[in-house]
Amino acid sequence: METYPITVGKITRHLPVVETLPGVHIPLVELMGDVELVQAAAEALVKHLPLETDVILTLETSPIVLAHTLSALSGKPYIVVRRKRRPYMQDPIIQEVESLTLGVSETLWLDSRMAEKLLGQKVALVFDVVSSGGTMNALEKVAKKAGATVVARLAAFHQGNSKLPITSLTEIPILQSA
Amino acid sequence: MRTHSVEIAGVHRELPVVQVGLEVSVALFNMLGDTQVVEAAAVALAQAMPADIETLVTPEVKAVPLAHALSRVSGKPYVVARKTEKPYMISPVSRTVISITTGKPQLLVLDGTDITLIKGKKVAIVDDVVSTGSTLKGLSELIEEVGGVVGAVMAVFTEGSPRQDVLALGHLPLFKPE
Repeated sequence: METYPITVGKITRHLPVVETLPGVHIPLVELMGDVELVQAAAEALVKHLPLETDVILTLETSPIVLAHTLSALSGKPYIVVRRKRRPYMQDPIIQEVESLTLGVSETLWLDSRMAEKLLGQKVALVFDVVSSGGTMNALEKVAKKAGATVVARLAAFHQGNSKLPITSLTEIPILQSA
Repeated sequence: MRTHSVEIAGVHRELPVVQVGLEVSVALFNMLGDTQVVEAAAVALAQAMPADIETLVTPEVKAVPLAHALSRVSGKPYVVARKTEKPYMISPVSRTVISITTGKPQLLVLDGTDITLIKGKKVAIVDDVVSTGSTLKGLSELIEEVGGVVGAVMAVFTEGSPRQDVLALGHLPLFKPE
């Protein structure tokens, strides 16, 4: 299997390269299940977490372990925005994701009891991989709807569009067919 | 708001009691975002974990930070059973269970690349709350199907009827709606 090497801190991983669309090959990074990589990414990202940050905001699924570790290192709480409506949610914030890459519509959900904790707070958005920025924009809208101010956008990796206003540790390239 | 007091490895929490059906309310325990509880529970569960466990398996989503922290504390790798098949998975193995929280069929999927961590190994299932055990049963069958042996089930709480087959840090009763 073709692989692509990435390094975060002292950790190197040889990512499997998968074909996501015909002719488009992407090194696939998975933080879940990789404690060492998450620890290395969190230790590097925590330096970019503004001191004024009140809350770390992330979304399910893969970035959760990164947010957890950033929270453990920084002492700041984190909140997870869900990708599905949960039965216990009351009056949730609902935000559509405009995803150009996949063309599949997606919706983000945040229970009002969680949203209340964001009111008037300074939040840092945390991602594993930022690609088109569609998900990032949607999460930012969730934060604003909850009355929070976004003070940082942190990602372990970015892919493609590097003009986005994010702090990212490593680029994962989009590889064309050989 | 009606709440239920719990102690999780020495950490006190007031859980909101919310109605989830016509006849039943539950104490809502959400570890996502509660770094202090996750870290305390991971240390306590690591101490209770049988020494011969080789791999941790957790269903997504809420128990993922717990499995991550338990993996870090115990040094055992962890695998996340996903709720949907992902396009990048290689030879995934799946099973459908009926979820108690939603009443809907729920898929559990293991990526083929994770099966080497399970096949021929003694596995501990890690979850936040074990209630009816429907997820547990489905996940156990899935682990056995790929050649693993379930050596322990570890959870922060059991819920409803007490269970002897789960290593848990506490128990949550069910409530009658007010």
